[in-house]
Amino acid sequence: MSKSLLVISRQAPWSGPGAREALDIVLAGGAFDLPIGLLFLDDGVFQLAPHQDAKAVQQKDLGANLQALGLFGIDEVFACHHSLAERGLTTPASAQPLDSAAISQLIDRYDQVITL
Amino acid sequence: MNTLTVGTRTLELDKDGYLVDLNAWSEEVASALAAAEPLALTADHWEILTLLRQFYSEFQLSPATRPLIKYTALKLGPEKGNSLHLNKLFNGTPAKLAAKLAGLPRPTNCL
Amino acid sequence: MSTLHVVSHSPFTDSRLDSCLRICGVNDAILLCGDGAYGLHNAALQTKGVKVFVLAEDMQARNLPLPDWADSVDYPGFVQLSLDYDKVNSWL
Repeated sequence: MSKSLLVISRQAPWSGPGAREALDIVLAGGAFDLPIGLLFLDDGVFQLAPHQDAKAVQQKDLGANLQALGLFGIDEVFACHHSLAERGLTTPASAQPLDSAAISQLIDRYDQVITL
Repeated sequence: MNTLTVGTRTLELDKDGYLVDLNAWSEEVASALAAAEPLALTADHWEILTLLRQFYSEFQLSPATRPLIKYTALKLGPEKGNSLHLNKLFNGTPAKLAAKLAGLPRPTNCL
Repeated sequence: MSTLHVVSHSPFTDSRLDSCLRICGVNDAILLCGDGAYGLHNAALQTKGVKVFVLAEDMQARNLPLPDWADSVDYPGFVQLSLDYDKVNSWL
C-alpha cells in the first residue's frame, strides 16, 4: 500500500507558480493511483471562485484543470470553511468544506503532507 | 526545428513531435502525424482523437492514461474505455500517442 | 498521530503561522525558523498550548529572547524532532 499524501494548496491562482505546482503534484499522483487528498486553505480557496478568466492574464485555465480531478481519481477534495468565509466565498460544488478541527483530523489521517 | 508538411502548409512541432499550435490541427494534419509513426487511422482511432480534443477543450490539459481510460469509458462505454482497447489502437502508449495525433500538448503527468 | 509544523515566514507579514495555529492538533508542535522566529513575539503562540520550538541560530541572529513557553533546538535537534513526530508539514 502506497503512503497517502495530503496536498495543501494555499496560494491564490494567479500570484505565482504555487497553485499550479500543487495541482501538478496532485494530478501526477492521481495518474499513478496514489491515495491523494487536496485541501484548499487561505488564499488557495480563491482557486475555487467561479467565472475566472485565465486568458486575461495569459495563463492556463486552472479552474478547468480542477474539474478533471475526479477523472484523475482524486475524490478527496476539501476547502477550509474559515478561509472561504473570511473571503466572502460561498461553498464551491467541487470541494467539501471543513472547519479547523476537521482539518486537524484530516492531516492526521494522511501519512505525508505538503503545503505549497 | 521539427516541422511537418501537410499539403502546402508547414507546421511547427516540438522536440517530441507534438504540434506546437493546437489550432493548426485538422484531420489532414492528424493523418500526416499518423503516417510518420507509422499508423493507419481507422474509425476507432478517430473516435478517440475526437474525444481527446473534447477532453482538452473541457479541462485544458492532456490526460494521462488512467484519466483517458476513465473519460473514454464515461463517454463511449466500458467496451472502449479500457486499457486493452486503447493500447491496441495506439501501440501501447495511448496517452502519449493519441495526444500527439490529436494535436494536444504532451501529457505532463505521464512518464 | 502528531505533526511537526515548520514555519519560516514572519507572522507579521504573512498568514502561515495564524493558519497553522488554527488547524494545529493537540499533539502537534511548531518549529519556527528563518523569519518564522519572529513568531516568538506573537502572543497567540503561547495561548494555544501547542509545543513551540525555535531554531537557535535564527533566534540568535535576530537577537530574540527565548520565552519560557518555547524551546530552542540546533540542527541535530531539528532532525531529531522530525523523527519524533509522525510527519513534518513544511509551510512553504
